[in-house]
Amino acid sequence: MDHVDHVLIVDDDREIRELVGNYLKKNGLRTTIVADGRQMRAFLESNVVDLIVLDIMMPGDDGLLLCRELRAGKHKATPVLMLTARNDETDRIIGLEMGADDYLTKPFSARELLARINAVLRRTRMLPPNLTISESSRLIAFGQWRLDTTARHLLDAEGTLVALSGAEYRLLRVFLDHPQRVLSREQLLNLTQGREADIFDRSIDLLVSRLRQRLLDDAREPAYIKTVRSEGYVFSLPVQLVESPS
Amino acid sequence: MKLQLRWPHTLASRLALIFFTGLVMAYGLSFSFQFYERYVSSRSMMLGNLELDVSTSVAILDRLPAAERAAWLPRLERRNYRYRLDTGKPGRPLNLADAPMAAQSIDKAIGNQYQLDYQSIPGPRPHFQVHLRLADGNPLTVDVTPASVPLSTWLPVVLLIQLALLLLCTWLAVKTAIGPLTRLAHAVDSLDPNAPGPELDESGPREVRYAAVAFNSLQSRITAYLKERMQLLAAISHDLQTPITRMKLRVEVMDASTEKDKLWSDLEAMEHLVREGVAYARSIDGSTEASCRVQLDAFLDSLVLDYQDSGQQVALGATTGAVIDTRPHALRRVLVNLIDNALKFAGAAQLEVQHGANHSTVIRVLDNGPGIPADELDEVLKPFYRVEGSRNRNTGGTGLGLAIAQQLTQAIGGTLTLSNREGGGLCAQIELRRVSP
Repeated sequence: MDHVDHVLIVDDDREIRELVGNYLKKNGLRTTIVADGRQMRAFLESNVVDLIVLDIMMPGDDGLLLCRELRAGKHKATPVLMLTARNDETDRIIGLEMGADDYLTKPFSARELLARINAVLRRTRMLPPNLTISESSRLIAFGQWRLDTTARHLLDAEGTLVALSGAEYRLLRVFLDHPQRVLSREQLLNLTQGREADIFDRSIDLLVSRLRQRLLDDAREPAYIKTVRSEGYVFSLPVQLVESPS
Repeated sequence: MKLQLRWPHTLASRLALIFFTGLVMAYGLSFSFQFYERYVSSRSMMLGNLELDVSTSVAILDRLPAAERAAWLPRLERRNYRYRLDTGKPGRPLNLADAPMAAQSIDKAIGNQYQLDYQSIPGPRPHFQVHLRLADGNPLTVDVTPASVPLSTWLPVVLLIQLALLLLCTWLAVKTAIGPLTRLAHAVDSLDPNAPGPELDESGPREVRYAAVAFNSLQSRITAYLKERMQLLAAISHDLQTPITRMKLRVEVMDASTEKDKLWSDLEAMEHLVREGVAYARSIDGSTEASCRVQLDAFLDSLVLDYQDSGQQVALGATTGAVIDTRPHALRRVLVNLIDNALKFAGAAQLEVQHGANHSTVIRVLDNGPGIPADELDEVLKPFYRVEGSRNRNTGGTGLGLAIAQQLTQAIGGTLTLSNREGGGLCAQIELRRVSP
């Protein structure tokens, strides 16, 4: 029998969690719904799930705290998708810092949630990342650059911010998650297809050359992203997590 | 040429003018009266002396033998008048009524004993002579050079010192009176509800203290009101988000119908309004985001690429290679709102960067749309204002996008100006002042 992905939904609003649960069930996922952190802990005590949808704003233990707790325990590899009520950068940044894999702002549509769940599952399943970004290490260093994984921009040697477009960030993140490993165009396309999968129609090659320009990488003698003939691309430099002082 | 007397513009100079003029006039009057009184008394004393002295001297000369008179002359000579034993120089006859006071005094002293003849002698030092015949028939001439009442030389110096003292006191008084007012005006001027400035010093004279206390409480009240408004908006929006989420989830499982589509678009509009409302409230509240150095070209390029990746016609024109200090999220939000606005009305947008005056950086978002009527260019930056005719669902929006852009531009120390381009279309210009590191 095929594996059916099991999603745990933690939300204090009964109607929302039931509506979401039913929708996901209808679309071929196995769902369990719980109302708060206490029930979540009780369920995870004896069960393993493939993904957790976690509301940030909850009475009692809030989502941020629960996410941090998950990342520290035996479920640290389980992907987490956060639901936030505030369309606010700080909430998103904190959520990602606490180890969430993605976030979605309320009010959201069930279809959007399903697409995100599938994207996160595909990403983590296809090629589990070598790096685990944590609260204290949100910066990834390579060569003369550092990538801020929460604010999603590059910092050069002098600390000047170099912005990345969404597609560029996702591609760079895939490379940095799997350094010194050859990735095929198909793999790259799959891994970079996030929430904008339907509108992402540029070829990987164009995106790679854009990213090389951004990294000031010479296309003829690239130092960061090398072309492997008839196979794909490889990120050739070692990658390091930077522990922030706090 | 007509001399125009103008009332000075500053309160300080007006007060100084009033004080100084008043003090100088009052002081001048009292000084003149005193001086006059002194002049009169010293003159009458001098004339009294003259009277006595002349009558004594003439009496002595009259009694002396004619041969001894010449020897006595130097002893009887005074600073202003001397005696001669001849008929004197010829001059013009002097009418006693017009003669100096000294002549009248002499007349009073000896006029009833001798026949007096007054002669005025013109010259570089005009003086007059009184001719008479002594008892033995010999002539005697009194030569008088009228002198002014002697003035001490230190008097003008004292006057100048006193004037300087008056000036200093006026300056001090005006400064004391104006200082607190200026401080208060500055404080009111720089009153920023987003970042409450330092409280005014609540010390000094009672009125100043009272004004400072009133100002400080005003400042804290404004801050409290703003905070309250933020909390209210945040609470409303948060409480609305849950029901909107529920409704969206319910609508999604409905069977496809036009009713479902209508409900869906209403929900989307509500959601958009709630989001923009919160964003607007936050933009007033001021950003907590830290400023950092940003490569502007890469920043704009990545933004444009994001639009292009989602199939929108946004292009980046001239760039400058500038590195600026700014709050990236706030600037991005401003640009996104302006680009979205251009896309909504024109379907395409172009960005360009230029160096501005005083090392500022100018970013422009250009479109070829219908533009905005000139008299509404300022109005559209106000919240909930929509250009007449755009109040339909397709283009209406919330009326908050430009207001948010305006607020956030101010928050990052820039200015946002809208103008219509020649040949049609709107130009939204953000001028970012150079922030010294």
